[in-house]
Order: sequence, then C-alpha cells, then structure tokens
Amino acid sequence: MKKVVVLAAALAWIGGSVLMSQPTAPGPRLLASYIPVSAGPWLSEADQVFDAGTIFDYIDGAGEVYRSYNMRHLVARRFHKDGRPDIVVDAFDMGSAADAFGVFTHDLDGADAAIGQGSTYKAGLLSFWKDRYFLSVYAEEETAETKRQLLELGRTIAAAIPGAGEKPGLLKLLPEEGLEAGRVRFFHNHSVLNYHYFVAAADILRLAQTADAVLADYRESGGRSRLLVVSYADPPAAAKAGASFAGAYMPDARQGAGMSTGNRKWTAFRVRGRFVAVVFDAASEEGARARLDAVERLIDGDERGE
Amino acid sequence: MSHRTITRRDFLKVASAAPLAGALAPVLARPAAPESKVRVVLVRHEAALDPSGAPQAEVIQAMLDDAVRALIGDKDIVKAWKTLIRPDDTVGIKTNVWGKLSTTAEVEQAIKRRVMDAGVPEDRLSVDDRGVLRNPVFQKATALINARPARTHQWSGMGSCIKNYIMFTPQPSAWHGDTCADLAGIWNLPEVKGKTRLNVLVMLSPLFHMIGTQQYNKDFTWAYKGLIVSRDPVAADATGLRILEARRREHFQDDGLLKPTPHHIQLADTRHHLGVSDPARIELVKLGWSEGLLI
Repeated sequence: MKKVVVLAAALAWIGGSVLMSQPTAPGPRLLASYIPVSAGPWLSEADQVFDAGTIFDYIDGAGEVYRSYNMRHLVARRFHKDGRPDIVVDAFDMGSAADAFGVFTHDLDGADAAIGQGSTYKAGLLSFWKDRYFLSVYAEEETAETKRQLLELGRTIAAAIPGAGEKPGLLKLLPEEGLEAGRVRFFHNHSVLNYHYFVAAADILRLAQTADAVLADYRESGGRSRLLVVSYADPPAAAKAGASFAGAYMPDARQGAGMSTGNRKWTAFRVRGRFVAVVFDAASEEGARARLDAVERLIDGDERGE
Repeated sequence: MSHRTITRRDFLKVASAAPLAGALAPVLARPAAPESKVRVVLVRHEAALDPSGAPQAEVIQAMLDDAVRALIGDKDIVKAWKTLIRPDDTVGIKTNVWGKLSTTAEVEQAIKRRVMDAGVPEDRLSVDDRGVLRNPVFQKATALINARPARTHQWSGMGSCIKNYIMFTPQPSAWHGDTCADLAGIWNLPEVKGKTRLNVLVMLSPLFHMIGTQQYNKDFTWAYKGLIVSRDPVAADATGLRILEARRREHFQDDGLLKPTPHHIQLADTRHHLGVSDPARIELVKLGWSEGLLI
C-alpha cells in the first residue's frame, strides 16, 4: 500500500493530472478523469472499477440499490494520509441523468451542500449528482478537517464534470401546491417504493424495473400525504397496473373515488393514458380527488406539449 | 400469485396493536402462539471492550461460556458443548469478515476453543466466511457454528445470523429478490441443512444505521458489549432486531424502524419455518451487565 501512496505522491507532484491504475475501458476512464489524484494532504490509491455484475464484490447486497437505477460503472478511489481518516470517492456512471437524480433521491437526509445539481452532507458523507453521474464522497471519520476536504473534493469533481443533466420528465406531473420539493424520489421498482413508503409486499403496481415512478410528499393540514405517479410503456400496461393496484389495495372502491384506509386518511387512484397516479394519506377524500385532478391536468397539458 | 399480498391497509387495520410493518407479518400470517418457547441468551459484560473498542479475549470467552451454560442448562461448560458438538463431528465456524465490523477474532477463538474442548481435533475444524464453498472442512462439515455481528443493511434491512449463510450459495445475488425476503431458503441447501448447532449474534458494537455506499459510520455504532446466543437463528435475529430498533428509537426519537424492513426475519418463521420470530414465543435469558439493556 505504501508503494502505491508514494507513486501517487510522485504522480501528483509531476502534474496532478495523471492517474495511477487508470481504468482501461472508455467509460470508467472518463469517469476517473473527473476525480483528482490528491485531496489536500491525502493521496489516492489504486482505483477499483466495478459494473452492475461485479458491484457485489465491493458493497455486497447493497449493490442492488445502484443496480435498480441501471448503474453502468463505479470507480472507487480511496485517499490516504497517515494519521488521518481515509476518504473514499465512489463515482457512479448511471447511464442517464434521470437515474443519477434517482439514486441521489434514495437518501435525501442531510444539509444542502450546494454542489453539483443536488447535494446533501451529513456525518462525513457528501452525496451529489451531476449530469449522468452520482458521487458519494465519504470520510471514515468526520472531523472538521475531513468535512472541509470532502466539500472541496466534491466541488472539484463537480467542476470537472462538463455539462448538466435533465431531471426526469415525470417530475413535471407533480402539482406544485403543497409539494415538499426536498422530498421527491424517483425509482423503478417496488422494493425502492417500499423503502420510502410501504405499499404492499408484492409488486401490485407492476413497476417491474421497467416503469418510471415518482413519489412526492405533500404538506397537509395535520400531516403529510404522498403522491405516486407511475409512467408505463403504454396505456394498456397502465390499465393493467391500475387494475392490479385496485384489486389488491382497495378492491371495494371505484376508480377515482377515495377510500378511507383505517388511519382516518384517504387513498385514491386514477389511470390516465400511460400513467397511474395514487394519493396516499390525504386528509380528506376531496383533497385526494383534487390532487388527482391536478395531476390529470398536467398529464393532459404535457401531452399537448404545453 | 397464489395468496393475497400484505398491503399497507392490513397494517393500518391492526396499527394500534403493533405499528411495525415488518413485525406485523407474523401477526397477520399466523394464529395464536403455540405453547413452546425457544431460548435465547443475551449476555453482556461492561469490560467486553476496552476504551478504544477492542474486544477483550478473556471476557469474551467468559461471556460465551456463561451464555452456553444458560442455553443448555449445564454448569459444566465442556459438558454443555458436548451436547452441541460430538468428538467425531467435522465443524465449520461460519464467521463474517466484513472489514468495518467483523465477527472478531476473539469471538472466533472463544468458539474454536470450546469446539476443541468438546473433542474435535483442529484438523477437523475450520473458520471461514467467503471461502466456505471451497473449504474442504466445510465441504465435509457435519456441524456448523454460525457467528456474525449485527448490523443494519441497505438492502436486507439487517445483516444477522440468517443472512450469514448467503456465502454458502454460488450466486448470493440470486437471493436478493424482494429485499432478501427468502434468505431463510438458503438454510435448506444441502451444505447447511440441519447442521447448525449454535448461533452467535455478536452485539459488541452493533451498527444501528447506515449511510452512503460504504454503509458504515462509527457514529452509528455503540458499545453494547453483548452476545446473543441461541440454537434458533431466527429467534437470535429477532432479538437482535429489537435491540437495534430500540437503539434507533433512542437516537433518532422516531419509531426506530429499519429501512428496508428486515422482513426476511419474520418470513424465516412464517414462510420457511426455520425458527421463531415472535417475541411472545421466545424465552429471553438476560445475563450480566444491565445498563442500557434496551430490551
């Protein structure tokens, strides 16, 4: 390990732009080029590169989270300085900006660090996304120095990534009134949905890793409601999903009508074209219906290109 | 789907009885609790870790011995182990080498010593984790001892005794479906079925929350200084889960529930019948240091 650190030091001294153990494939090589070889007094060790098939070698079953967002590559670079906690950069190429945004929304706890196109910092972990990349910059122990270094490292990486990506278009179908902008999640499967908000043990909405879904929190009098909007491949797929949800979750309710769910709150759903929208935990049936009406107007407006 | 799925509405209907989505699974799926209980021993010692967090070998040995005595009901520790292990057994000690939080060499050695005291020679004994399928001792094993630390996990909710056997499968990711719901199915594989004599869930410094890809932050561990010991891996895990959730309630001042829900523990009981997850059917024996017990 010491040899690697010495080599890194030499390379950093030579010019700071040469990577040791540089990945050979074009995608990881490009991604690695965004990460500096040193971070203050910390010097980098050899990169490790993983893809969706090998990520379990790095982070065992937790790799499923990144696979569920269609990850392409991960470049992991560790920075070492004797006597200081190590710093680890895990840089993911998610293949699309939508999925980079999505995996970022998997954990939104923390303070906005104003880095990239969205970021959080908490307890020695900086997470951010930019373009099709998701970055986790982590210190093995949080100190004032490591926090400063993580933020600096994050800003450097974000600046090196050219351009910016678009958030998923599905977010445009979220009515603005009452929306908690910092609590919007984008995903493709029911395990991730259940992580954020348990709906059912089985995939009753037929997300199946092929649909796009957004779950958003809304402020309500006396609490919080959720709006789930799912985009399917075509209207028949949405109709099947709506029927599946209705049959499993609210078999005694007709589409569009609300149903009290035992906690004195209301659930309602609607199928519109290739979309299914569900409101959970609304304070009233009227409120649930109004939110679905608003989604429907946005869908119609979107299809007219407004 | 051959049976109706459990939905949020089912939980809401019984929410006043038990607000935990995961913990509700046995309530929903099974009628009244049967009469028999399985024994789980929780042993703690204030000196199990030194001030730097390093495990203290002699204390760990004494804790394991106390736990096994209480579990078996024999004051003679060698006799107690001889009810678990025969001298002609070939024994694999399935450990966990995750770098940030391992089973610890001290726990491994404490188990190894007692397996040898039970009459098993060292050449018929092996400690392994990721190499178990290639390890000749494990390939011939007639008995297994399962030992690993308790921690939260980003996909299965909790990493504990049931999950520790995933390395007995050639493709661990094949068991990741529905956030590892059916991990207990691994225990039916020929490599392990019916062989486990003891489960040790290491609670020396459990991880009760995780963030980021690395899944570890020392700030989310605490010096609980305990071991949970049982013949039943499901009961051991269910007990450890209660402690993790209690610690989370204390730390976060919320419901303490793990995300994702570690429903594989309940399903190990209700779907796979590997053991008992319902606290009402667990006889919990608590030994030693009681400060901050949480259960």
